Amino acid sequence: MKSMKKILALLLAAVMVFSLAACGGGGTTPSADSGSSSAQTTKAPEGGDQTTKAPEGGSSELAGTYDVTVWCADNIVDLTKKQIEAFNNSNTDGIKINATVENVGEGDAATQMITDVEAGGDLFCFAQDQFARLVQANALSKLGAKAAEFVKNGNDEGAVNAATMSGDIYAYPLTADNTYFMYYDKSVVSDDIAGNLNDVIAACEKAKKYLAFDVGNAWYLASFFFGAGCKSEWSTDKDGHWNVNDDFNSEKGLVAMQGLHDIQSSPMFLSKSGASEFDSNAAVVVSGTWDSGTASAILGDNLGVAALPKYTVDGKDYDLVSFMGYKLLGVKPQTDSVKAAVLHRLAQYLTGKDAQLERHAAVGWGPSNKEAQADDAVAKDPVLNAVVKQAQKSVVQGQVNDGWWNLAAALSAAAKDTDKKEDYQAALDTYVAGLEHLKNLKEGLLFVGAWNGWDNADESDTYILQDDGDNKTVTLDVPESDYMGGRIVNIGSWENDKGFAQVKEGADLLNADAAGDDNNIVFLEPGNYTVTINGSNEITVKKN
Amino acid sequence: MNEKTQKRHIGLKASQNISNIIVYVILTVMAVIWLIPFICIVLQSFRVENTWPVGYVAPKTWGFDNYIALWNSDFKRWYANTFIIALIVAVIQTIIVLCMSYTLSRFRFKSRAGLMRLMLILGMFPGMLSMIILYRVLKDLGLTQANAVPGLILVYVASSGMGYYVSKGFFDTLPKSLDEAARIDGATRAQVLTKIILPLAKPIVIYTILTAFMGPWGDFVFARYISFGTSSGMNVAVGMWNWLTPDMINQRYTMFCAGGVIVAIPVALLFMFLQKYYVEGVTGGAVKG
Repeated sequence: MKSMKKILALLLAAVMVFSLAACGGGGTTPSADSGSSSAQTTKAPEGGDQTTKAPEGGSSELAGTYDVTVWCADNIVDLTKKQIEAFNNSNTDGIKINATVENVGEGDAATQMITDVEAGGDLFCFAQDQFARLVQANALSKLGAKAAEFVKNGNDEGAVNAATMSGDIYAYPLTADNTYFMYYDKSVVSDDIAGNLNDVIAACEKAKKYLAFDVGNAWYLASFFFGAGCKSEWSTDKDGHWNVNDDFNSEKGLVAMQGLHDIQSSPMFLSKSGASEFDSNAAVVVSGTWDSGTASAILGDNLGVAALPKYTVDGKDYDLVSFMGYKLLGVKPQTDSVKAAVLHRLAQYLTGKDAQLERHAAVGWGPSNKEAQADDAVAKDPVLNAVVKQAQKSVVQGQVNDGWWNLAAALSAAAKDTDKKEDYQAALDTYVAGLEHLKNLKEGLLFVGAWNGWDNADESDTYILQDDGDNKTVTLDVPESDYMGGRIVNIGSWENDKGFAQVKEGADLLNADAAGDDNNIVFLEPGNYTVTINGSNEITVKKN
Repeated sequence: MNEKTQKRHIGLKASQNISNIIVYVILTVMAVIWLIPFICIVLQSFRVENTWPVGYVAPKTWGFDNYIALWNSDFKRWYANTFIIALIVAVIQTIIVLCMSYTLSRFRFKSRAGLMRLMLILGMFPGMLSMIILYRVLKDLGLTQANAVPGLILVYVASSGMGYYVSKGFFDTLPKSLDEAARIDGATRAQVLTKIILPLAKPIVIYTILTAFMGPWGDFVFARYISFGTSSGMNVAVGMWNWLTPDMINQRYTMFCAGGVIVAIPVALLFMFLQKYYVEGVTGGAVKG
């Protein structure tokens, strides 16, 4: 007994040592603003306005050393380090940036930032479709008047719009190239037939080579609908409720469905994207700028790049109109206004003409800066020429409800199986019902958790509440597989309890975590339940 | 009658042969199917003519470029992190689990049954439930991001006492008379555990070490959350996952395969090396009347 106690004590001590050692080692090291005590008192009203020119001595109120974390995609990590080094050497204000550049891809940035803004990167690259979410999560600091001028004067109009929300600019445009177009093998598809999808398919079939176009993904699939003249524009009001202006369910939508059927019924059609398909017997790949290096490495001189071709339905030609997106660089709101000003200076440097040209040279990213776009190296880049041509037939990808991607993707499968108009119509009806469902989320309850495999809100089960004045109720089935647990949350706010009082009452309620934060977590055995929310937001779960 | 049984006897042997053949064919086919992905990964990791996924298996040009590229990337940091975490967790968790099982198997104390029931119920909650809270706690302790390694060790080790079921079940099958004999000869409780029980329970010790090592070795969800976008705190699973974006896959695919091979090596070695003891442990030890 005694020796057991000793071992136990030893173990506890060991655990303590671990945690203590770690505490001492790191934590939050405040940035050392050496020799700028006066700077602390100077408050910049908004980020990026502190562009006070330095006196001859080479130091200003911004002088000092700053620890900065930058998040960007893997392929520009090294380049970004170099560019920050160059900024350190070239700025005349005595700013020294001690940068940690981490690989967090643009597609993932918002999810990471919103999880914990405090721990997020000071500067972070993100794709434009995450813009609204980031603004709502207070993860982006608003640009001051001078910085806004810098963005407006320097970049093309689409890029400026991409960074603007209700008249204010929140981010610095980084690229204007996030779209898709056609890479093709000139030995199979000649340049003069590259403008017509039917000819392209015929050429592929003749050569027994694949045509890779990932229409199973809504991002690519939408080109058929936009080309036919449909639109799908999502917007959110100030409470975060979604609204959509969508006419996929129309005569034009039926045209798009027919087009989707025609391309998918070719034996050489492949629902994939990625230039590596050229190595797997593909002659045409629809993809974006990120594949240019791979495509030219495989095809060499045989590589052709063009905007998407036209597709034909009932003898009429329609364009394929792609989504167009931008990459942006955001500055996280700071408590220290001096550091904020420095970060905006750095962000302007990193999104300026020279930095964008360097990025184009290194990884082929298409600049958003107007001067950079006019630069010879960019203007003569065949891939970016295709981007420019495609951009003329594209719609800007604004914010899109996360649920839409799965909803729309289902249309391609529906179009593949059949060529009957009434089946297309049925699929579009289902689609519209899904849209209504997504819109009505504002009235609903979300069950996030094992109900949907702990996945994110994309596939969370949603239940529309019946409102009878006093109480709101919903009935739900917990599947037979296992007992299930999860959170009950309001729409648009699925992390924490957000106003719901603890789940107190409930038959077969296995647990409701009493400790504050997680009071909206419940575990239920399989069965049918009625969930009621009363006027004071108390949840009751009763088995039926 | 006699003839009939004899005939039937021969028929049985033949049918045994046939069923053996069928079983072996099925097993062989399954083994091949099972091994194909591993063989593909190994072959792809030596393919150097390009770095993107291709439609064939055997490399056209062989080389070690991918492994060299791994060495020059952050991978070695991730690998070291994973290895340190797994090793420390394997040691601490094994000690805790074995002590726990021994205590619950041999001692009778007041709240024993209640404790076991409590742990059973606690164990029913998915660990992911506590993820957000754990993240906050660890962040306050400064054990996230760059300090994710000690943080993760703490997370993995903290609840390890609850995984006592298997080893306690095994200890229960060892006769108590062994303990009693040793106690009469003057052994302390701790000596009984280390000198009598553990040598007899080698297979279960090995099993505990293996599971304790494998858990952190392959973890992704917690590790991703706690390293939170900081390369120096990532483990291999999280770090390599970042290579799989559409932008990067064409540059990283073969490197990814090479990484997979390197990740598999210690686990394979561990199993091969410990298998010997595994068998030894099963056959060793008995009570003398």
